[in-house]
Amino acid sequence: MSVVRNWSGGRVVSLLVLLLAVVVSVFPFLWMLVGMTLNPNDVLRGILTPGKEFVSNWEKATRNYNLLLFFWNSIKIALLTVFFGLIVNSIAAYGFEKYPSKARDRVFGILLLTLIIPQIAIVIPMFRMFAFFKLLDTHAAIILPSIMSVFIIFFMRQNFKMFPTEIMEAARVDGAGEFYTFLRIVSPSMQATYASGAIYLFIGQWNSYLWPLITILTDAGKTLPIAMASMMNAYTIEYGALMVIVCISVLPVLVLFLSMQKQFVAGLLGSVK
Amino acid sequence: MEKRGTYQQYLNRFGWKCVAPSMVLFCVFMLYPILSSLYYVTRRWKGMTNTFIGLGNFVRMAHDQVFQAAIGHNFLFMFIQVPLMIFLALILAVLLNQGIRHFRGPIRLAIFLPSVTSLVVVSVLFRVLLQANGMLNNVLLGAHLISTPIGWLNDSGWAKVTIILAMTWRWTGYNMVFFLVGLQSIDTEIYEAAEVDGASKVRQFFNITIPLLVPVILFSAVTSTSGTMQLFDEPNILTWQGGPANATMTAALYIYRQAFFVNADFGYATAMSYIVVLISGIFAVVQMRLLGDRRSK
Repeated sequence: MSVVRNWSGGRVVSLLVLLLAVVVSVFPFLWMLVGMTLNPNDVLRGILTPGKEFVSNWEKATRNYNLLLFFWNSIKIALLTVFFGLIVNSIAAYGFEKYPSKARDRVFGILLLTLIIPQIAIVIPMFRMFAFFKLLDTHAAIILPSIMSVFIIFFMRQNFKMFPTEIMEAARVDGAGEFYTFLRIVSPSMQATYASGAIYLFIGQWNSYLWPLITILTDAGKTLPIAMASMMNAYTIEYGALMVIVCISVLPVLVLFLSMQKQFVAGLLGSVK
Repeated sequence: MEKRGTYQQYLNRFGWKCVAPSMVLFCVFMLYPILSSLYYVTRRWKGMTNTFIGLGNFVRMAHDQVFQAAIGHNFLFMFIQVPLMIFLALILAVLLNQGIRHFRGPIRLAIFLPSVTSLVVVSVLFRVLLQANGMLNNVLLGAHLISTPIGWLNDSGWAKVTIILAMTWRWTGYNMVFFLVGLQSIDTEIYEAAEVDGASKVRQFFNITIPLLVPVILFSAVTSTSGTMQLFDEPNILTWQGGPANATMTAALYIYRQAFFVNADFGYATAMSYIVVLISGIFAVVQMRLLGDRRSK
């Protein structure tokens, strides 16, 4: 009886539709993984059995395209953004939430308002500004504008709401300073929030394309997305080496997602609450 | 009493100190660019010099057919891709939530997987998959489903389909996760009651699930439409600078090319970005109204 109910017609159709979606979703990942081991022609033919070209593809990617340098640039920029971003945004969120004042609420309202401004409208005056200070083609130009994030402040403020203000008051009675309370008592208990914020900041910077495309002018400063995009401009494309670079650039985000699924999705859903 | 007042002032000052670093960054990298754009928008660049032309940039825009077509493409992607993706994501979420009993976790994980890729990676992958001698054409030719390769990237109609396919692949699983969270908050007793009343699964989907999920659907629509207004990576990489012959040119890409590629006219590019901000603003207001109405009911 229960077997019949488990495998009724509706369930079979559901499962088939879902499996089709799984195949479509996963196939490109399989294809690019296998692509790392194939010669360029086999990549285009869609062969899904591993070949023997991995070593030569890896060598092409690291020697002809400087993969390791681009990886280092990307990881350095992303980690510095996460580091400064977490400090600046968390303390701002804390200030907005735990020290309520009408004036600061008005400021927060203005911050939220700027969320609707598309990036393309900001990059032109910002490019002129960085050009004026002769900071184009530096990694500081990529890091500095992405440290402060209205979304992260908003997200962390939502989470600071749940921290009981009584504990802060108890710390005050014990003679703890305000900053000490934040550093030693409040932030250690918000690790999950920091983790979600870090994931969000990391992925945003790791994947960013438009602003680095405008500011990076030399080969040595390129990040992985810029490197991949400019590989596509070449007359002949080394598909095997390209797949190596694509896989390397997907890997950190994939690892983050698989190891911290809960915080990853919390970062996504933060704005829904 | 006075002591208490100064203590409140002390706390207030500490509050300002907390938000100060982010405010400095906000002023430099958001407020100043916005204010200085008021200057750029009135000027026309020619080489290294620029002159005041008032509202001339907006007049020029009225005659710029490429820009108008680009805005049209943004709307096209918005009105075709977003509903398509939301519908797909809804169906997958419902099937995953109610249609099956086993392997829910792994299937959800697999369908979400495209969301870990960047838009650049999606564009690169789809360009290699879909180019004239690419994998998809090879497979379709091999199966004798088509006799000549489809111009996924070279035909002005198919190129739009390509962009829609890539966006849908990247974002469906992402939206599905939102809907799954929404579905879990629906009381299963409603479905049991509907079952007793003899409502079919399809009717349950349209008459129970969708109405109850409207807030989540609206939220997805808000984020997706604002994303579509900013479409840049895909037309620049996947269909190669908005090609073929501007068939997939979008507003953001056209602005970028006017400012940094074609003739470095920052004034004209800024003026066009004002239109994009205006459209995004209108959408945001409309959608917030819709969301607000739902919340207050």
